[in-house]
Amino acid sequence: MRGENVILAVPSKGRLMEPTRALFAEGGLEIRKNGSSRGYRGTLDGIDGVEVAFLSASEIAEQLRLGHVHFGVTGEDLIRESIAEPETELEFIQPLGFGHADVVVAVPDCWIDVNRMSDLQDAAAIFHHVHERRLRVATKYVNMTRRFFDGKGVSAYRIVESLGATEGAPTAGSAEIIVDITSTGATLTANHLRVLEDGIMLRSQATLFASRRISSPSAVKDARAAIISSLNSAKAG
Amino acid sequence: MVAESAQQFEALEAQAAALMDSFGAAGYERIAPAMIQPANVYLDRVGEAIRGRTYLFTDLSGEELCLRPDLTVPVCRLYLERHPEGGESARYCYNGPAFRYQPDAFSLTEPREFRQAGIESIGELRREEADAQVFALAIEGLRAAGLEGFQVKIGDLGLFEALILSIEMPERWRQRLWRNYWRPHTFHDLLQRLAAGKGSWISEPAGVLLAEIEADDVGSTEEWVEKYLDAQGIPLIGNRTVTEIAERLVHRAADVKEAPLADKSVDLIEDYLDISGAPEAAVEQVAKLANRSGVDLSGAIARFEKRLRHLADCDVDIESMQFGGGFGRNLEYYTGFVFQIEMPDAGRTGRVAGGGRYDGLLTELGATKRIPAVGCAIHTERLLMAVDGAAR
Repeated sequence: MRGENVILAVPSKGRLMEPTRALFAEGGLEIRKNGSSRGYRGTLDGIDGVEVAFLSASEIAEQLRLGHVHFGVTGEDLIRESIAEPETELEFIQPLGFGHADVVVAVPDCWIDVNRMSDLQDAAAIFHHVHERRLRVATKYVNMTRRFFDGKGVSAYRIVESLGATEGAPTAGSAEIIVDITSTGATLTANHLRVLEDGIMLRSQATLFASRRISSPSAVKDARAAIISSLNSAKAG
Repeated sequence: MVAESAQQFEALEAQAAALMDSFGAAGYERIAPAMIQPANVYLDRVGEAIRGRTYLFTDLSGEELCLRPDLTVPVCRLYLERHPEGGESARYCYNGPAFRYQPDAFSLTEPREFRQAGIESIGELRREEADAQVFALAIEGLRAAGLEGFQVKIGDLGLFEALILSIEMPERWRQRLWRNYWRPHTFHDLLQRLAAGKGSWISEPAGVLLAEIEADDVGSTEEWVEKYLDAQGIPLIGNRTVTEIAERLVHRAADVKEAPLADKSVDLIEDYLDISGAPEAAVEQVAKLANRSGVDLSGAIARFEKRLRHLADCDVDIESMQFGGGFGRNLEYYTGFVFQIEMPDAGRTGRVAGGGRYDGLLTELGATKRIPAVGCAIHTERLLMAVDGAAR
């Protein structure tokens, strides 16, 4: 751990960035960037000794996992994807009430015979037999997909790693079904996909996490208490 | 972090020599299949479950590869390279590194770099004889390496398959039961639902759908599906054909009208899975159960007994083995005889060797016809622990 500062990682871009900044500000903790607006470091007004690191949401998940930051705001989906048993490595301090999105299993609308994971199990096994290859699932949530499908007894599939525009994969022909994150469902509908009835793998939102890997000197405990009480007053207000 | 790939290298090498000497003396050819294997062979054929444990990587040419998590698949690939048409029988033995992710990477009994020894008999059509020979040779090798006081568990997936075939039910229900056999909890649930009947597991988002489907007519259902998708403006994507969709709708419509699975059939299946005991007593129980329930398992039972006779001929102590009707549900590619050799009261660490028949694997790896195969894999680190432990 560099220096003696408590490090808080916040999203530097994307849909979590502004609501995070706003929530902290509402609680009286303005996040200040050092130097130019493109800087990666900052401070928290209202608490001494807290260094703010501006990173992407997935980098924050990684830094929390490695124990390189004390606290971080990121999506629960990213945490559950990169850490098999997140509750042992991290503390889920508080869900923050924004960035809601579900990680879902979605199949083509035209598969009118497939409504639940048990239908998918059947259809995938038959697909394997008929097409002499496994049905492909496009997703970036490789680990979560594997665990979920295993739990539901679906084994006749292959994962095709997709880093963007996952919803377009079935139309483009690079996969048959997808596991993706969705908020309004509009993109799924536009791509002629439908979520299975029991296909919601995770209801995710932006969450404040603390690493259990780092030792907690009193500075960290104080910072933590201050952050939590500020966030609570922000949400209440 | 431990910098050695084998912390008891000399002891493991000496042990391997004892194993390979036994196997070589029995006419098994020593081979060394490649350590770097194509990733898709494992992911496509053995399934995504192995992804969680396998060291996958992409090389400079963009090819997806892995460090082999076991040696059975590499040995089968080697056989197919030498005998693309099958047709010849071959017997191989091996000892070499394999790699699997482990939470405690350098544990002495479950390290992430481990050495798997084993034997495979491929292409031998006299199946029961091959089953017995492979098993007996595995025991001989383990004894030569100093193992004593072990227990043996056996099962027979061929018996279970014959049981399901002998019970009156739609073929699609047999397929579902077989597919879920590997997950006892899901299997039990499925049995209950089939017995409850009326397709009670079927959810009806558009209740009108199934009522419009003719239970027997795939052809007209295909037309119905096409009209429906057209009318709703739903494009056909995802590579499943209209026929596949129609067939499953026809199955579901049939399931709603189908008589539930008879309670006595559910009992028969669950009673079979509960059977345990020494093999001869257990197979008698199976025969009695079949008789009581009015099903014919004579073929499968005869094969089971034939295998027992071959085992006796190989001087194997049959009486001390434990047969379990539900045993063998851990690897989806086993198709017949399965066995495990373990130290008592030692949990997972005591599972020193295991194997069985896997007649479907070579087809999965690209063989143009089904090639019989049976083998045994030995976890040499655990074997060393077991022998050492006993010595103290």
